[in-house]
Amino acid sequence: MKLNIEGLLVYFPYDYIYPEQYSYMLELKRTLDAKGHGVLEMPSGTGKTISLLSLIVAYQRVFPLDVTKLIYCSRTVPEIEKVVEELRKLMEFYAKETGERNNFLALALSSRKNLCIHPEVSSLRFGKEVDGKCHSLTASYIRAQRHINPNQPVCRFYEEFDAVGRQVPLPAGIYNLDDLKDFGRRKGWCPYYLARYAILHANIVVYSYHYLLDPKIADLVSKELAKKSVVVFDEAHNIDNVCIDSMSVNITRRTLDRCQNNVDTLQNTIQKIKETDAAKLREEYRRLVEGLKEANVARETDVYLSNPVLPDEILKEAVPGTIRTAEHFVGFLRRFLEYLKSRLRVHHVVQESAPQFLKDIFDKVCIDRKPLRFCAERLHSLLRTLEIADIADFSAVTLISNFATLVSTYSQGFTIIIEPFEDRTPTIANPVLHFSCMDPSIAIKPVFQRFQSVIITSGTLSPLDIYPRILDFRPVTMASFTMTLARTCLCPLIVGRGNDQVALSSKFETREDFAVIRNYGNLLLEMSAVVPDGIVAFFTSYVYMENIVASWYEQGILENIQRNKLIFIETQDAAETSMALEKYQEACENGRGAILLSVARGKVSEGIDFVHHFGRAVIMFGVPYVYTQSRILKARLEYLRDQFQIRENDFLTFDAMRHAAQCVGRAIRGKTDYGLMIFADKRYARADKRGKLPRWIQEHINDGSLNLTVDETVQLSKHFLRQMAQPFRQEDQLGLSLLTLEQLESEEMLQKITQIAHQT
Amino acid sequence: MDEEPERAKRWEGGYERTWEVLKEDESGSLKATVEEILYQSKRKRVIESHGQVRLGMMRHLFVVIDCSRSMEDQDLKPNRLTSTLKLMEAFIDGYFDQNPISQVGIITTKNKRAEKLTDLAGNPKKHIAMLKKAVDTVCVGEPSLYNSLNLAIQTLKHMPGHTSREILIILSSLTTCDPANIYEMTKTLKSLNVRVSIIGLSAEVRVCTVLTRETGGSYHVILDESHFKELLMLHVKPPPTSSSSECSLIRMGFPQHTVNSLADQDAKPSFSMSHLDSSSGLSLGGYFCPQCHSNYTELPVECKVCGLTLVSAPHLARSFHHLFPLDAFIESPVEELQGNGFCQACQGELKDKSIFTCPLCRSVFCVECDLFIHDSLHCCPSCIHSQTAS
Repeated sequence: MKLNIEGLLVYFPYDYIYPEQYSYMLELKRTLDAKGHGVLEMPSGTGKTISLLSLIVAYQRVFPLDVTKLIYCSRTVPEIEKVVEELRKLMEFYAKETGERNNFLALALSSRKNLCIHPEVSSLRFGKEVDGKCHSLTASYIRAQRHINPNQPVCRFYEEFDAVGRQVPLPAGIYNLDDLKDFGRRKGWCPYYLARYAILHANIVVYSYHYLLDPKIADLVSKELAKKSVVVFDEAHNIDNVCIDSMSVNITRRTLDRCQNNVDTLQNTIQKIKETDAAKLREEYRRLVEGLKEANVARETDVYLSNPVLPDEILKEAVPGTIRTAEHFVGFLRRFLEYLKSRLRVHHVVQESAPQFLKDIFDKVCIDRKPLRFCAERLHSLLRTLEIADIADFSAVTLISNFATLVSTYSQGFTIIIEPFEDRTPTIANPVLHFSCMDPSIAIKPVFQRFQSVIITSGTLSPLDIYPRILDFRPVTMASFTMTLARTCLCPLIVGRGNDQVALSSKFETREDFAVIRNYGNLLLEMSAVVPDGIVAFFTSYVYMENIVASWYEQGILENIQRNKLIFIETQDAAETSMALEKYQEACENGRGAILLSVARGKVSEGIDFVHHFGRAVIMFGVPYVYTQSRILKARLEYLRDQFQIRENDFLTFDAMRHAAQCVGRAIRGKTDYGLMIFADKRYARADKRGKLPRWIQEHINDGSLNLTVDETVQLSKHFLRQMAQPFRQEDQLGLSLLTLEQLESEEMLQKITQIAHQT
Repeated sequence: MDEEPERAKRWEGGYERTWEVLKEDESGSLKATVEEILYQSKRKRVIESHGQVRLGMMRHLFVVIDCSRSMEDQDLKPNRLTSTLKLMEAFIDGYFDQNPISQVGIITTKNKRAEKLTDLAGNPKKHIAMLKKAVDTVCVGEPSLYNSLNLAIQTLKHMPGHTSREILIILSSLTTCDPANIYEMTKTLKSLNVRVSIIGLSAEVRVCTVLTRETGGSYHVILDESHFKELLMLHVKPPPTSSSSECSLIRMGFPQHTVNSLADQDAKPSFSMSHLDSSSGLSLGGYFCPQCHSNYTELPVECKVCGLTLVSAPHLARSFHHLFPLDAFIESPVEELQGNGFCQACQGELKDKSIFTCPLCRSVFCVECDLFIHDSLHCCPSCIHSQTAS
């Protein structure tokens, strides 16, 4: 259908539209008009992606000069592919309606592992291996060597692309990962480099967060993207953690050992080269004297190691004299390494700031701040000069040099914590140096500064106002949308008491309490008797889950539950978990029924959807607070308090509630879906917790269901499940939560729609 | 644990929010909407029954009754099993009332096994007697969908192709314990043209949804006892046949009931074929098969000697009306009503938001009467009245 969104003609590829989609587009258009940033929360399963795409594509067509490019960032490869498929549907609709072939170019970009078509390289299993192997076939000096020695293996796909591909632009169309590979095979071009080249002139790019947020990759891939782009971060409820992870470094003793080997290899190689080709090293030295600008003229395939610091922080000056010659640099690395080793030998926990660390290193081993700062750049140059093909081996030394550069560049927003052992195993020495970023705004700042509009969107972003604060930006629109429903298909219940009136809570004091554990078991047992097919239960941590399950086993509760349903458990082992998931789904499918016990913040809670019968109920045992004794977290909380005036408690609750919302949100993936959301902790009833749930969940919690007992919960669930099992057809939704064009345009409906968006 | 079945007293039973049924909810309007949807589907049933569809009039139906642990649940009074069996009696009556030339068999499933309670037969009395006996069954273990279906098709697959083969499952449990892949069974059922319908007593179970969708049956979950009854009665009406089922002419005998007096010299006492096993067989009167002159006390029946289907003319006539259903009444909002606001049939005041008008005689009816007329009477009382009057 064709929509009129405040004067903008939007093609929408479906015959029906949800009211909230219309409202969402309205807000989005206002954001684009204002050329500002936006934070938009809309429940999953209400067609966020297609609304975003329809509106932005329409905008691009009408105002081609204002918005030149859409950069859509998603989290995982399946999600990326889903977005591209939606886009394809939209474009087909455009072609059908307008009757002309439009010259839109949209493509997905992923890692080499997902795009490589080289028969040998693509058969490797791990991403790092693929990258390394690819590099060893395509690096510029390898290709240069081929001129001398024709037997040197190179990648023919890359050669072909380099020879022809650059001159011919990728024909307009929608390219998913597989389409790129097909196209690459047909032409004999490397799809990965083709895609990387093509994103520069594509209208829509769909790729992972890291291509924009991680400075090490962003510098390579996204450097030249136009300023007049719209950037969308989908599923962005964890964006602060992604930012922090991309800037943090952890160093263990193993890293240092491997680094030691790396440095030895470097030394040997230098020695060898010195004997054979001393001119090369002299040449490098000359270049370093001239400055970094020269060094930057690297060819795209060489960029295996990039500066971890954001672009505007790099000094535009020459590398300091002390590390200019290769031997001196290796010596410097050795000293630095020795220093780190000595620091890891501590027996107590040390926490210090970056300036303290720098002062200490200067006192102990006389390393100045400036050479440290150039460490990454210098290593980059050296590896290139030494023509080391297999860079995968050098990850350890790369990490150390990244650390050196980061620690000497940023004096604020980072902290260094050295822990001699893990908290849980205080007897086993396992020293770790955490160089931890505490300020997510550092990594994302260039994105906000560079691009005209940045949209942060997800199903769970409540409370909305905290994201602008921790990411340090000023949005022009902040809105939360509710789900219009023809029938109330979600049923959030807060269970605060057991049948014996014992308060249910996972708080620390009652963690070991038998009565609580028994009541939790009772809740699961009774629910397993009334909920059909699949139940997903989330615990706050692996340790807590293990304790409870062990205790249930002793009390015989587990055995009783197994009479109703099979039990599967998520573990930290990925292979085991995916096996459990597969079997879980099978049991849901064939009527046996199953329970999946998993952990909030685990793999299951984030990436896996439990549509329809795979998750008829989600039970959240306890409030999933992050482990508060962690020093990294403490440092971060302190930083948030000092810098952004966010109280520790507010942040912890916010973090716990967004994970709880994520967990329970797994069950509802659309309007025809239905599910119970059971919050089994009496603390959820408090206003500060409840108020932080997304609005679309909050509005269905009525006062009567705030402090239920297990029995009451069972009765309410039974009632709800029967109601939901009644036949529900599309016609029942029409006019209420699903609109045709005529219905949409009615005055009354437009009035209603304005109430859907909840501005904050 | 406290989940023991000995919850004898009502006050020890589950906590129920009985008042919620009465609740008018203006904000979320959950109650209202679900009711609305139900109401729509009720109407739909009446409207849908129209059009020229071929109906399977000779039905072979197996009813599978779940007798697993969950049947002890007391959300139906006094418990699910008793309530189900009681409704089943009404169902059997209704079924033979509407489908006199059809047959029914009953299977129970518990403890991962399935047992035949009664074989396929056309005699309601026997079924009802068995159902009455079954009230005392102990409900244990889990049901097995696979085993019950398997047991049912063992018999159904030998039934002639022109009859409709159906299975109706009353499922209380949320799980099923199957010895093999149930989806294979679905394929078998599909290839045999067996239609499986399910009435769930607790909640929607995925495997049932798939099973019914694949085999073309219906799947419903009850809300309460009256809804349960309504859903059961849906299955009284013969379903449309699938186009793949064969058509054939059937030989039928229409035996006259004759009573010979002892005074008659020609009269020879004969054994009723249907009571051969019981001792009191010898009688003078009965229905005599026109082909082989076997004696039967009851109709309809299949002759045990020559295999002829024996029916009486009224039986056939009763099945007949399904083919010529009454036209659907015209629905209109109550505001448009002219004249007095009373239903023509029950004389009650028209309070619902819709009224129904017979397209022929323009009489006005309420929803309940509309349903009754279409489901049971099959003719408009007011039309009949005017016919006889004129």
